[in-house]
Amino acid sequence: MVVNQFGQFGALLKREIIENRNLFISTPALLAVIFFVFSIWVVSFVPSAEIATGIEYLSVLFDGLSPLQMAPVFLLPAVPFIVTLYICAIIYLINSLYQDRKDASVLFWQSMPVSNLQTVISKVVTICAIAPVFYVAILFVLHLLAVAMLVALGLTYNVQVAGLGYMFMASVLSLLLIYLSAITTALWSLPSIGWLLLFSAFARKTPILWAVGVFILLGFLEDFVFGSQYLANWVESRSNPQQYMFFEFTDVVERLFSYDMLFGVVVGSILISGAISMRRFID
Amino acid sequence: MPVNQLIKTILSNRYVLLLTTLTAYLLVVVAEGAITGREARLLDFENPFFDLNIGDFEEFQTTRSGEDPEVM
Amino acid sequence: MTNIVEARFLVKRYGDFTALDGVDLSIPSGSISGLIGPNGAGKTTTMKALVGLCDVEGELEVAGRDPRSARHKLMEEVCFIADVGILPKWLKVAQVLEFVSAVHPKFVRERAEKFLSTTEIPSNKRIKDLSKGMVTQLHLAIVMAIDVRLLVLDEPTLGLDIIYRKEFYDRLLNEYYDGDRTIIISTHQVEEIETLLSHLVFIKNGRITLDSSMNNLADRYFEVVVDPDKLTAADTLEPIYTRELLGRKTYMFEDVPLQHLEPLGEVLTPTVADLFVAKMKEDHHGG
Repeated sequence: MVVNQFGQFGALLKREIIENRNLFISTPALLAVIFFVFSIWVVSFVPSAEIATGIEYLSVLFDGLSPLQMAPVFLLPAVPFIVTLYICAIIYLINSLYQDRKDASVLFWQSMPVSNLQTVISKVVTICAIAPVFYVAILFVLHLLAVAMLVALGLTYNVQVAGLGYMFMASVLSLLLIYLSAITTALWSLPSIGWLLLFSAFARKTPILWAVGVFILLGFLEDFVFGSQYLANWVESRSNPQQYMFFEFTDVVERLFSYDMLFGVVVGSILISGAISMRRFID
Repeated sequence: MPVNQLIKTILSNRYVLLLTTLTAYLLVVVAEGAITGREARLLDFENPFFDLNIGDFEEFQTTRSGEDPEVM
Repeated sequence: MTNIVEARFLVKRYGDFTALDGVDLSIPSGSISGLIGPNGAGKTTTMKALVGLCDVEGELEVAGRDPRSARHKLMEEVCFIADVGILPKWLKVAQVLEFVSAVHPKFVRERAEKFLSTTEIPSNKRIKDLSKGMVTQLHLAIVMAIDVRLLVLDEPTLGLDIIYRKEFYDRLLNEYYDGDRTIIISTHQVEEIETLLSHLVFIKNGRITLDSSMNNLADRYFEVVVDPDKLTAADTLEPIYTRELLGRKTYMFEDVPLQHLEPLGEVLTPTVADLFVAKMKEDHHGG
């Protein structure tokens, strides 16, 4: 039986998806259903003449405009999904190295020839690159349904719908932007990811209390020992919500190659290394 | 050998390991902060898209008066 | 015969509680070894330490590696079943097989599927919907489909009914054991496995009180149904355990030459269960 590194890592990622299907799939899917039903409910109150005018307006608005330029318009309806992904990511990370110790299945996972390094890295990759795929895929379905409905309505009312094709292209491009933003944001948040993983691997119970408590404590400790507040300053200068919004692809590139990003990756790596080593203490 | 001994000590139990990791974290962040003179700054993040395009929308509205811009 | 497990003075403390208090252990390659002790004696801790699932102090080498630093490499050579169901409850049966076949180079999926086809385990069910017996069967199916040198079974049949227990050991012996592989089984139910064993280890309060091959055992331990007039003579030979059997005193001796015992009465070979009781009740007799 042939086992290669790639297949092994793929199995680890698949394991994460199956275990966390509620966080990665059910939650955004439910949100999408709510979103969709709510939209239909709202539209049902609009007189049909206004619907026809509205569709025509949208069609004309997007007609001939570069989808690349219009893509950011669709970041707005994605905001609830991005916020949800963020909350789910925190829940996922704080439980990822704790839950299996709690239910003893860690004994099974660790009785497989998989190193702690591979295990922890698979969790990082899952949250950075895999979880956003599901959110984006569900947004794609939502956009597809919305456009299909608009086109169907437009044809019913006999209005011009060709511009909706541009709109759809813009919405699809927005998904690419959202996905790249998600990866960029995840890399930017690597110190936070490492922090949560470290306490997820460390705590015998309530890892979230440890993570938050020690975080606050460390801030006071720095002030006490060094008389400085660099830790607080560092965290503050990284947690500006504006830093998590990318309206153009060039923003993404600019952020990826910034000094602050690089330093965050270094700090994140220290914490993740700690989490990997912490995996030897599973009892 | 001293390096091996050090690693062995760090990995001797979970508390020592946590303390070591947190110390490394704190030292790196404080050292970087001291070197770069880091201050709590909320970076001004330019958003060229909306500055540029909100105008476009308004322009659009004026050229297509009578349409309802609230739809969508 | 070389040893697949060599442990010297393993110590493990949980706060004030000392789970392992200097465990020395040598398990010969190709043996079926039983680690037997009462609940809380340190069996699970020892078994976990052997496979790198518990951080212990002391010298430890399993299949030529240190389990603490090379766990994931060691796991290509060693399989482990724990006393509690440790298969992840949210996985489906087929998904477990898929996972193991993707990560374990020595897993033969067809073999596991063949084994499962002889059971009533449905492959589309989640593990949390299986009975305790089925989970153990599934774990056994996985482990028996992995071609490893050492199998570590920590109270594998705990909580199972007699039919599952018997079947478990039958299959292990008939379908898995080939004389080259080593199997270590821990249990507190001696009778269940005594006929399987070629090597016997007793553990009590975190210390090994007996570590011997079954063959040696027959040369080292004798039970004597002592004639009533020879009781004083028997006492001077320092029996490790005495009991009454059908109104007659029965003494157990350790490392006393047979020629000294034969005049005392009828000499018997003690069962492992008798020996176990004797060693557990022994108060540091001779260390």
